[in-house]
Amino acid sequence: MKTRTRAAILAFIREHRSARPIELVRFLRISAQAVHRHLRSMTASGELERIGAGPKTRYTKAGAPDFSAALHWFSARQAPENPGESWCDSRDSFAARLPRLARITQTLQPNDAALLISIAGELGNNAFDHNLGSWKDVPGCWFEAQATGGKVWLCVADRGQGIFSSLARAHPEIRDGRTALSTAFEKRVSGRAPEQRGNGLKYVRGLILQSPGRGIACRSGDETLAYGELGARCLEEVAPIPGDLPGTIITVVWSLP
Amino acid sequence: MRIHLRDFGQILGSRPAGREAALAMRAYLKPAKDETIELDFEGVLSVGPSWLDEVLSALRRDYGKTRVVVLPTTNASVIESLKILDEG
Repeated sequence: MKTRTRAAILAFIREHRSARPIELVRFLRISAQAVHRHLRSMTASGELERIGAGPKTRYTKAGAPDFSAALHWFSARQAPENPGESWCDSRDSFAARLPRLARITQTLQPNDAALLISIAGELGNNAFDHNLGSWKDVPGCWFEAQATGGKVWLCVADRGQGIFSSLARAHPEIRDGRTALSTAFEKRVSGRAPEQRGNGLKYVRGLILQSPGRGIACRSGDETLAYGELGARCLEEVAPIPGDLPGTIITVVWSLP
Repeated sequence: MRIHLRDFGQILGSRPAGREAALAMRAYLKPAKDETIELDFEGVLSVGPSWLDEVLSALRRDYGKTRVVVLPTTNASVIESLKILDEG
């Protein structure tokens, strides 16, 4: 019975990415005390991880990020109102959030922290650089960082025009989304020609490929692309989004030494 | 003369911030003829290539590539940013 309940909790969390205790009480139809007993035991054994505190406490599978709020914001038909503190409505609010990443990365070697912050900076600033005046509905980007299971995860998303649209405007020779994505990460071109730009994503890709235990996945329109040893794992995080959506969502994972 | 980049912030990332920093530097930099301009990243947490591109491009335009020197640093974000800019 105990094993079956644990399996049901894990199955629920796999399907919904995370769970609040009250959701499990309703799903399992057992007492809150019993749910909390299982959650405590599964957290102690390293199967689950607790995120947040008080009524906002959620449980996730240890080692897996919970980007459900980001995916909801990114894929909603219309931008949700009051989406929460991970939404940065301006470049300034994004810059103000970057030091929080510095706090999360305190357990990293100083150079890993420096590189991870610069990656987040390039991805977030790209969202503003390439979408000014071209947002689908709301300006800004979603920026979230989580540390779990010995890894730091980043998610940066925007409801902008997407990489294909941005690049094709300046480079009409780019004719499809797939080519646009690989060009953005591998070649020195920019959607802001004639400005000399186009280093940011190449820089990010280079750092991801430098060491094992790192990965990046990008979804823009209905195309996806991943790099690094854990690229496929990052792709799993953006895979559940249905359809061809405008905008871009990127997940990064960086293993702690 | 030496510029302490920590005076511009601990995290130096975006192009607009880099442009602002370059404008501020140019306003108060008065190097003697042939004097080198040393960029010191001691105390800076993280630098991105976008920020560094704006600053280096502006200073090198004004003073020439050889007079603008990045002082040796162990900060990997500075090293990696310089690497990708130098590839360009």
